Amino acid sequence: MGNRSARPLLSRVPAALWLLIPVLLFVAVFFLYPLLRLLMVSVPGGSFQFYEQILTSPVFLRVIGETFQTSLVVMLVTVLIAFPYAYAMANCSRTTLLLLTIALLIPFWVSLLLRSFSWIVLLQNSGLVNDMLRGLGLIDRPLRLIRTPLGVAIGMVHVLLPYAVLPLYTILKKIDMRLMEASSICGASWFHGFRRVYLPMTLPGIAAAAILTFTLSLGFYITPALLGSPRDMMIAQMIAGQIQEQLNFGLGAALAVVLIALTATAFGLFGLLQMVFARRQAKREQTA
Amino acid sequence: MTTALRRILFWGFVTLTALFLLVPTLIIVPMSFSTTPQLEFPPVGFTLDWYGKVLTDTAWLAALKNSLLIGSATAILATTLGTAAALALSAAEFRGKGVILALLLAPMVTPVIVLGVGIYMVFARWGLSGTLPGMVAAHTVLAIPFVVVSVMASLKMVNANLAMASAGLGAGRWFTFRRVTLPLILPGVTSGAVFAFITSWDEVVVAIFVANTETRTVPIMIWNQVRTNLDPATAAVGALLIVLSAIGVMLSYKFKETR
Repeated sequence: MGNRSARPLLSRVPAALWLLIPVLLFVAVFFLYPLLRLLMVSVPGGSFQFYEQILTSPVFLRVIGETFQTSLVVMLVTVLIAFPYAYAMANCSRTTLLLLTIALLIPFWVSLLLRSFSWIVLLQNSGLVNDMLRGLGLIDRPLRLIRTPLGVAIGMVHVLLPYAVLPLYTILKKIDMRLMEASSICGASWFHGFRRVYLPMTLPGIAAAAILTFTLSLGFYITPALLGSPRDMMIAQMIAGQIQEQLNFGLGAALAVVLIALTATAFGLFGLLQMVFARRQAKREQTA
Repeated sequence: MTTALRRILFWGFVTLTALFLLVPTLIIVPMSFSTTPQLEFPPVGFTLDWYGKVLTDTAWLAALKNSLLIGSATAILATTLGTAAALALSAAEFRGKGVILALLLAPMVTPVIVLGVGIYMVFARWGLSGTLPGMVAAHTVLAIPFVVVSVMASLKMVNANLAMASAGLGAGRWFTFRRVTLPLILPGVTSGAVFAFITSWDEVVVAIFVANTETRTVPIMIWNQVRTNLDPATAAVGALLIVLSAIGVMLSYKFKETR
């Protein structure tokens, strides 16, 4: 009763918005503040010494370079494998679609930790992959797969494939296959039709798959920690190492900020690409 | 290249990809029956001893209890907060709505290691390190986006006139929510809750930075095991987890279908 004067002001806020307050408070305390804290710890007393250290030391630059390189390779391989798979899903019978979807979603739902675990067993010197290669007579001595960049890449591609197939499939299933028939009736070879008619229409899907796999790759921790060697460490391992083993919180925080900045840049690039595609689409529709 | 040859090559490649996806996931199950103490694939012999060993081990059981407790609390908290947010975001148009939605979904695209380290630093000061409430809070942040997305999707399909009709007939806001809106969006809320539970159930990176030996979860036990010694007992745990998440997936799809 005493706050009668406050009522008109409060009633101007739509009632539904009060529902946002608890979640916003929660996210501010347990998400935004920890990130802000990282930023603060990374510049003790306003000094950028840790960033300087990262940008001048060959060790850190190597790790950042390694992370970029691994993410790029993993992105390329994942998208190359995902494209035919998504194409098959978009152009097959209902039963085949169901089978392909199940094969895609089962690993998606099994924890990444467990999958890295079975890759260790498969890739070890006495593992199935080496046994098979030896059985085929391709190698005499077991190949070193585990604790190598190759092992990390295999495990990461396995984790990321569903993330690439799903956005590709969404785009591919919308493409009218009669366009390919039309191009072949007009005398174009299959390859020519694919390259000049089909592929350009899939570019938004390819871009989405590529950026998603690339940005997720940048932050991978579990897979490289279990399948890789400390020598070719990725940035997430470096962050964990600085915090847990070196107890160098400032440096760990600065590395975490660098990782977030890299991820944000990649996502920004994605937004830009999408804008370009949308504009091109609009132009095409205008001229059509 | 002839059309037939191209088809054979194409489907051969797709089949290999499907096997690449499935085999490393599913071999965990047969490995758990192996009689040898080292992990081998193909497994040797058949025994259920590893399951017996795991299901009577106090450390694994304590971790299981923690996982179930933290997962359920996360599901309840994230579903409550996320559903409220989804209702507000769907009900009104206002300035800054896009920013708020982006903020609520941001934990989904933030590298988990970054969040883990950030939370580690603030929890140490707040005395939340190694506590169950700390674990629940950290996992809820990761789970909220899934609830928001799921509930917003099902709110899109609800006719807004129904809530207005209910209000017009004299029902209060809470009554309308409980008796009209909630039953309509229940499939979205439930699948959001399942997602939230699984997010916590599978989460390891943030947990590594928050949990201690008393609050460690099943994924942390696996993480420690995999890094020290590989034995079929871990595969047995993995096989049990695969069965559990299969049930979870089937449940969440069932709720989606009834929508």
